[in-house]
Amino acid sequence: MENRGIVIIGAGPAGLAAAIRLDELGVRDILILERENSGGGILRQCIHDGFGLERYGESISGPEYASRLLEEIGKRGIECRTGSSVIDIGRDRVLTVASARGTEIIKAGAIIAAAGCRERSRGAIMIPGERPAGVYTAGTAQAYMNLYNRMPGRKAVILGSGDIGLIMARRLTLEGAEVSAVFELQDHPNGLERNIVQCLDDYSIPLYLNHTVTEIHGKERIEGVTVSEVDSITHKPKAGTEKYYPCDTLILSVGLIPDNTILERAGVIIDPVTGGASVDEHYMTSVPGIFSAGNMLHVHDLADYASAEAEAAAENAALYIEGKLDTGGNIRVAAANGVSHVVPMRVSGNGPFTVSLRACRRERNRKVEIRQGEKVLGWHFFPLVIPSQMITVHSDAASGSEDIEVSII
Amino acid sequence: MRYRFDIVVIGGGVVGSSIARELSRTNAAIAVLEKNSDVVDETSGRNSAVVHGGFAYDRGSLKAKLCVEGNRMMGDLSEDLGFPFIRCGKVLVGNTDEDMRTLENTIRQGYDNGASGLSMIDGKRLHELVPAVIGSFAMFSENSGILDPFLYTIHIAENAHENGVSYFLSHKVVSIERRNGIHIVTAGDDVFEAEWVVNAAGLGAKTISDMLGITGYKVIGSKGNYLVLDKTLGPLLPMPVYPVPSNTYMGIHVTPTVDGNVTVGPDAVNTDDFSYYGVPGDRMEYLRESASTLWPHISRKDVIRTFSGILPKWVDDKGRIQDFRIEIRDDIDDRAVNLIGIESPGLTAAVPIGRMVSEMILERTAFHSKDVWNGHHDKPMRFDDAADKTLVCSCENVTEEEIVRAIHNPLGVHTLSGIKYRTRAMMGRCQAGFCHMKIEKLIERECGLRAEDIRYMGPDSWILSGKMRNGNGK
Amino acid sequence: MKRYTCIVCPKSCEIEVSWSSAGDLEVNGNGCQRGREWITNEIRDPKRTIASSVIVEGGEREIVSVRLSSPIPRAMIFPVMDEIRKASVSAPVTAGDVIIENVLSTGADVIATSSVLAKED
Repeated sequence: MENRGIVIIGAGPAGLAAAIRLDELGVRDILILERENSGGGILRQCIHDGFGLERYGESISGPEYASRLLEEIGKRGIECRTGSSVIDIGRDRVLTVASARGTEIIKAGAIIAAAGCRERSRGAIMIPGERPAGVYTAGTAQAYMNLYNRMPGRKAVILGSGDIGLIMARRLTLEGAEVSAVFELQDHPNGLERNIVQCLDDYSIPLYLNHTVTEIHGKERIEGVTVSEVDSITHKPKAGTEKYYPCDTLILSVGLIPDNTILERAGVIIDPVTGGASVDEHYMTSVPGIFSAGNMLHVHDLADYASAEAEAAAENAALYIEGKLDTGGNIRVAAANGVSHVVPMRVSGNGPFTVSLRACRRERNRKVEIRQGEKVLGWHFFPLVIPSQMITVHSDAASGSEDIEVSII
Repeated sequence: MRYRFDIVVIGGGVVGSSIARELSRTNAAIAVLEKNSDVVDETSGRNSAVVHGGFAYDRGSLKAKLCVEGNRMMGDLSEDLGFPFIRCGKVLVGNTDEDMRTLENTIRQGYDNGASGLSMIDGKRLHELVPAVIGSFAMFSENSGILDPFLYTIHIAENAHENGVSYFLSHKVVSIERRNGIHIVTAGDDVFEAEWVVNAAGLGAKTISDMLGITGYKVIGSKGNYLVLDKTLGPLLPMPVYPVPSNTYMGIHVTPTVDGNVTVGPDAVNTDDFSYYGVPGDRMEYLRESASTLWPHISRKDVIRTFSGILPKWVDDKGRIQDFRIEIRDDIDDRAVNLIGIESPGLTAAVPIGRMVSEMILERTAFHSKDVWNGHHDKPMRFDDAADKTLVCSCENVTEEEIVRAIHNPLGVHTLSGIKYRTRAMMGRCQAGFCHMKIEKLIERECGLRAEDIRYMGPDSWILSGKMRNGNGK
Repeated sequence: MKRYTCIVCPKSCEIEVSWSSAGDLEVNGNGCQRGREWITNEIRDPKRTIASSVIVEGGEREIVSVRLSSPIPRAMIFPVMDEIRKASVSAPVTAGDVIIENVLSTGADVIATSSVLAKED
C-alpha cells in the first residue's frame, strides 16, 4: 500500500487548480489520479474559446486552458497518474485504483474529489419512442468530432439549450451538417446569452422555448422526432401542437449531473438536489478528510469558477492534513424562496463563508439574502438573476444552531 | 451461396440455440439461421430475466413441466455455461382474503406441477426477506431466481457453435420449400438444404409455420415495457417482488438484476407490430405508479433507461392464451419441428425445450452421438480477470481487455449492442456518455472497419456518418 | 427599433437600438459604455472568432484543434472554414503553432490550440 499526503481525483480544471494551489501552500506530497490517458478533463474537447477570462484575464480555448494548468503541474513536479481510475474508496481514505498496472491501493491523508460531471441521458429523461442509433448527448457528439474526427450525423435536431448543445449547434453547422432547431422545455434558455447569439442567431438556427421532443422515430437509425409545445408551468405537452422534424441525429443537452459513483461508494452523503456531495463551508463532505469541488460538487457555468472553488477546497485540505481545520458545528444552510440549491449545505459557524446558489427563475432587480433567524448574515443586490448563472454571495459567520436560509427577494 | 445441412434451426434466440446445442451432441450438421445481427436482440434479451418456479401455469401444461425442469437444472447450467444466475427466491405479495386464496391455490398448483420450495409467509417474515416491501403476507418461492439473459443466451449459442453448429446471423428466412424430402430454405442471398427444419423463430414463428404449410395458428404479441433503475437501488431489493398472479400474466413486478440494477415491469399491451420496441410516455408513469404499490423506492430520478419486449402468445379463437405448442405434423411435414407460442417461461424452459425437440428428431432420424462433446463455456472475462485494468466503461468497471475480447466473440458480432450485451459496457448510469466513442474506436481498430461501417445493432443502425476530415480538403 | 440582450457581462442589459432620420445609431438601455461599444460593433461590423480542427499527417491523433488569433468579420466565417477544411499539417504540432497565417487576408492567423505528437513506428 502506498501512503500519500493529498490525493486529487480528476485532472480537469478543478483537480489541476487544486494541485497547483496545494503546491503553492507548501504541500509536497500531492498525487493526481486521472482516468483518461491525458490530463485536462473535459477541456480537451471544448475547443471553442471563452475560457480563462477569470483566471487568466483573456479568452482562450479549452485545450489551451488545460495546457496552461498542465504546464504548471509539470513545472512544479506534481505527480499526475493518467489512465488511473479510482474504483473504490474504503474506510480511512484508502483508494483502490485501476490502471494498466492492475489494481493498486493508496492511502491518502486527504482526498479532493474533482472528477466532474456526466450528462443526463435519453434514459434519464425518458423520451418516449423507438430506440434507434443516432441519439447522442452533446458531450459525446463533441468528443466524436473534436477528439476523434468523426461526424455523428448530417441533419441534427438539438433538445435542450445547455451551453454544450448550443456550441455543438454551431460546430455541426460549421462542419457542414444541418441543424434544424433547438428545443428547450423551460421558458428560458439554459445556456449563456453569448452562446444564443453566437451559436444560434448567427446561423439562423431557431430556438423554441417551451417545446420538447415527445417521440423519437426510426427503427435502426433515427429518422425524425415529434416535437410538442409544453405548458410553461406543468411542462406537460399540449395536445394538437405536435410537429414532425426529420433528422438523422438527435443531440441532447438536457443537463449535467455531478458524477459521484465513487463518493457514494465511500459512504459520502449526496445532496438530492445538486447530485453532489453535501459539504460544509470548507468543501468537506460528510466523511472527514474527503473534500469535493468543481462540477463533481455542483455544476458550474465556467471552468474558471470550478478552478477557483477547487483552490478553496485545496486550502482547507491543506489545513486538514495538518490538523488545523476548524470543523465542528453543523448549522444547516437551506435554499429558501426563489433558490433552487445552495453550496455549502451546512456550516460550522466558525467564520465567514461563501454561498453559491442558483435562482429558480429569471428575475430583474432582486436581492439575495442570507439570513439566520432574525439576523441577516449577508446580502447582495443583482440587476438580473437567471437560473443558468450561478450566484455567489459572501456571508458573515453564523452562530448558534438555527438553520440558515438563503432566499431571493 | 448454397449450403447443405442435416438440420436447419430457424431462430437463434435462447430456444433455437438450446435446440441446436442439444442436437450438437450428435454428428448431425446443424445450421442456425438468425434474422438479427445477434442472438439476443428480441425476446431472449428483452424480458424480466427471472427464472420461474413453475407454479403459475396450468396443471399438465408443457409450460409447467418444462419450466419446472428448467428451474431445477439452472444451477448446473450456470456452472457449465458460465453465466450469472442467483437462486434468490421471490415473493408474491397479497393483502386481501381473496389474494390469500389465490396464492394458496397457486401453491397447490405449483406442487401439482412438480415445483418445490413454495410456502405462505406472514408479514413479519416477508419484511425480513424484503425490508421495504408493501404487503401483508406473501407466497415465497425459494427456488425462483434471476439470471443474465444476455450471457445465458449468448453462452448457449457460443457453446453450440463450439460444438460445430454453424451460425448465420442477419439471415432472415424468406421462403421454405420441400422437394424430394429435402427442405430448401432461402435466407438472405443464401440457400440452405436440410432434411430437418426446426421453427424456433419466436416472434416470427407463425410466419415460418405458415411457410412450412402448418397454418391456422393465431399468435398475438404481448408487449411489456420496463424501467431500469440505477444500481444504488439493487441492494434494497434482495429478490423479485410480484403481485398476485393469474395463470396468464404475472403482473408488474420489481426485479433485481444479477448486476445490481432493478427493473420495473412489464405491463402487457397487445400489439400487432412485432418489431416496435418504443416505450410510450404514459406507460413509463403507469409502471412507476403501479410498482410503487409493491415497493416504495421507485423514483423518476433513478431511471437510467427504459426498454420493452414482446411475447408471442398463441391464442384460441376466443383469444384465450394457450400452452407452448411443440409438434411434428406428420400430415403436413414429417421432418419439421414446429414451435408456436414460446413465450414466458421460455427463458427458464429453453434447455428442456431443446432436449424435447432433440428427442423428437432423434426418434425419427438416427444421428449418432459425437465422441467428444464439450458442454462447458468459460465465464465471461471480467474486471478481476484482466491483467491490464485500463477502464473503458467507468460506470460498470469494464476494461479495454474485456472489450477487445468481446469484439472477437465466436459468433462474429461486432455491433455496439453486441459488445454491450457481452461486457455490460454502456449499461451503466451514464448510458455510454463517456465510453461510446472509445468502444467505437476499438471496433474500428480490431475489425479494420471504417467509422461509417460500424453499426449499433441492425444493418441500418449506423452510428457515424464518417470522418469529419479526410485530408486532401474534404 | 430592435432589441438586444447585451452579452458583455452577466448583467444582460436589454439594449434598444434605433436609427435616427440622419442614419445615426441611437442606443438605449445599456448600463455602461462597453455595452454601447459592443452593440455598435455588433450592428455595424459584427466580428466573431471560430474554433475548428485541422487534419494532422503522421500524428498520434488524426486532428488538431485550432482557433483564430483574433476575431474576423462574421461574413468571413464560412470562407475561413473552407480554408481550415483544406489545410493540413504534419506532426508534431505544438499548441500555438500558426497553421494558416493571415487567413484570407483577415489579419487573423489560424493557430493550433493543442499539441499532437508524431506517431511512433
